[in-house]
Amino acid sequence: MRPLRIALTKGRLEQKTISLLEAVGYDCSAVRDKGRKLILPVGNGKLEAVLAKAADVITYVEHGVCDLGVVGKDTILEYGGGFYEVLDLGFGKCQFALAGPKGKDFFGGYAAKTIASKYPNVARNYFERKAMDVRIIKIEGSVELAPLLGLADAIVDIVETGTTLKENGLEVIEPICDISARLIVNSASMKLRKTEIEALVEQMERAKEEKRA
Amino acid sequence: MKRYYKITPEGTNDLLFEDCLARRFVEKKLAKVFSSRGFHEVVTPGIEFYDVFQPEVSGIGQEVMYKMTDRRGRLIVMRPDSTMPIARLTATRLQNQPKPVRLFYTQPIYRNHPGLTGHSDETVQTGIELLGAAGIRADLEVIATAVEALSQCVPNFRLELGHAGFFRALAEQLPVTDNVREDIRQAIESKNYAALDAILDELPASQPVSAIRRLPRLFGGEEVFPLAAPLCFDEKSAQTLDYLHELYLAMKKLGLEKQVIVDLGLVQRNDYYTNIVFSAYVEEFGDAVLLGGRYDNLLGLFDLPMPAVGFAINVDAIAQIMLKEGKTPAVRPAEILVHGDPGYEVQALRYAADIANQGHRCETSVFETREEAVSYARASGMKQVIFLAETTETITLEKE
Repeated sequence: MRPLRIALTKGRLEQKTISLLEAVGYDCSAVRDKGRKLILPVGNGKLEAVLAKAADVITYVEHGVCDLGVVGKDTILEYGGGFYEVLDLGFGKCQFALAGPKGKDFFGGYAAKTIASKYPNVARNYFERKAMDVRIIKIEGSVELAPLLGLADAIVDIVETGTTLKENGLEVIEPICDISARLIVNSASMKLRKTEIEALVEQMERAKEEKRA
Repeated sequence: MKRYYKITPEGTNDLLFEDCLARRFVEKKLAKVFSSRGFHEVVTPGIEFYDVFQPEVSGIGQEVMYKMTDRRGRLIVMRPDSTMPIARLTATRLQNQPKPVRLFYTQPIYRNHPGLTGHSDETVQTGIELLGAAGIRADLEVIATAVEALSQCVPNFRLELGHAGFFRALAEQLPVTDNVREDIRQAIESKNYAALDAILDELPASQPVSAIRRLPRLFGGEEVFPLAAPLCFDEKSAQTLDYLHELYLAMKKLGLEKQVIVDLGLVQRNDYYTNIVFSAYVEEFGDAVLLGGRYDNLLGLFDLPMPAVGFAINVDAIAQIMLKEGKTPAVRPAEILVHGDPGYEVQALRYAADIANQGHRCETSVFETREEAVSYARASGMKQVIFLAETTETITLEKE
């Protein structure tokens, strides 16, 4: 049987996951100096790490070509999908929020509002729950620009410290939900390789608790 | 302007040659299993009224169904599931049939998946429904048939067994609204321990709360039963667990110990399941290849209440796996090309029909000359060319 394959979201989450895996006792030197390789052995080949963009982590896990994945809750909320979400890894913390020009009453008035977001599904779900009709425009880059340029009344975006908002004269109107990195598992893999996966999840959970302590 | 005339809609594809053979091979194999167990084949329409699949009951969201309207403006959907139509058919047309009724089907279902995710919108399913029978004998028969069917195609499967009633009984005890109950169900379904804990932490501590907290972790072999026993807080949940244990032991007797997993956190999206639920997984496919369970309330929605149990197998997935493993028939060229010289065309046809009746695969030549016929036969990989003229002449083609 092939080694368990874990897809990691490239960048910050990858670094944090690697140090967690190292705390568990896996040798991650191949990932630390990876060069241009995209599939890398971890822990003397006990695991195989795949480096991918966040949304692709979900795709690979959902199709079962990777057994596990580490991905932000933001990506899960935006792209959805059928898989097990077994562990809140506790890092990569931030939140989704509705933000708009400072001091402006967003919920006032009866005119339909325009929302700019990199996360149109998250925005749509949020306003559907509020039973509010809004126009959603997808923006790829700095979403903060949209209200400044007059394209949108507010934005739905990830807020970490709020500095970017403040510097552009925006503020959080309402927090939407908290975000952090999650360990996800393909549902078929969970059934077929239960013992291995459960052991790994448990090890990672313990390492996470120890790091926090 | 024609733009889309050379492509098929997203989520669909043409099946060619070996793919076709593989699908038909699996369909035939499974149909044989089902009919040898006394199940009779039915076909339901490819389009049905939307009302048959009420989302609250079927668990199939309206955005998932392909919809259109009929001549009178009534809402029609392309069949998104086969169990609901079979419940409709049984409740309306088989009222007077002696029970139980054993039915099987092989037909595609259509679901509108989000784009660019590689999911098929058209999936061929085959499955059985045993209608009008309750109890462990019926459940066992259906599970045993599922096992038999899969063993013939993908012997290394895992079968997972759960009970929809276990979660329902626990959830009823929680002092929460239906929406929160659905959030809890979703958290258990996706084994989202973090989300589940977050919801349960808000509730006053009680036995059902701590039982539900344990639920998604309660899966595995026989060791699950003693772990789950203390969580049963009333007679009903204890009976449910005992029932599941009894089924498990029966399956153990069938020699399936290694292949069966019990999962008390199996709470399926299809809301029509009331009792046992089961699904099967194989290494080569990232999702369940078989889904089934007991749905005792479904027929009541069509005004003929009766217990029923059944399952559906994803034929396309099985066919792809078997094709990759080289277990499906290969595409073979005809063995013999029969070519009639000018004036012997009809004799050639008759001759070809004769040897075809003897069990050979043969083609008749559409070419004017022998040379063209031979080069065509060679290019197609045939072994023999038979020329019909005043005398019959056979040449054997060497492999180049």
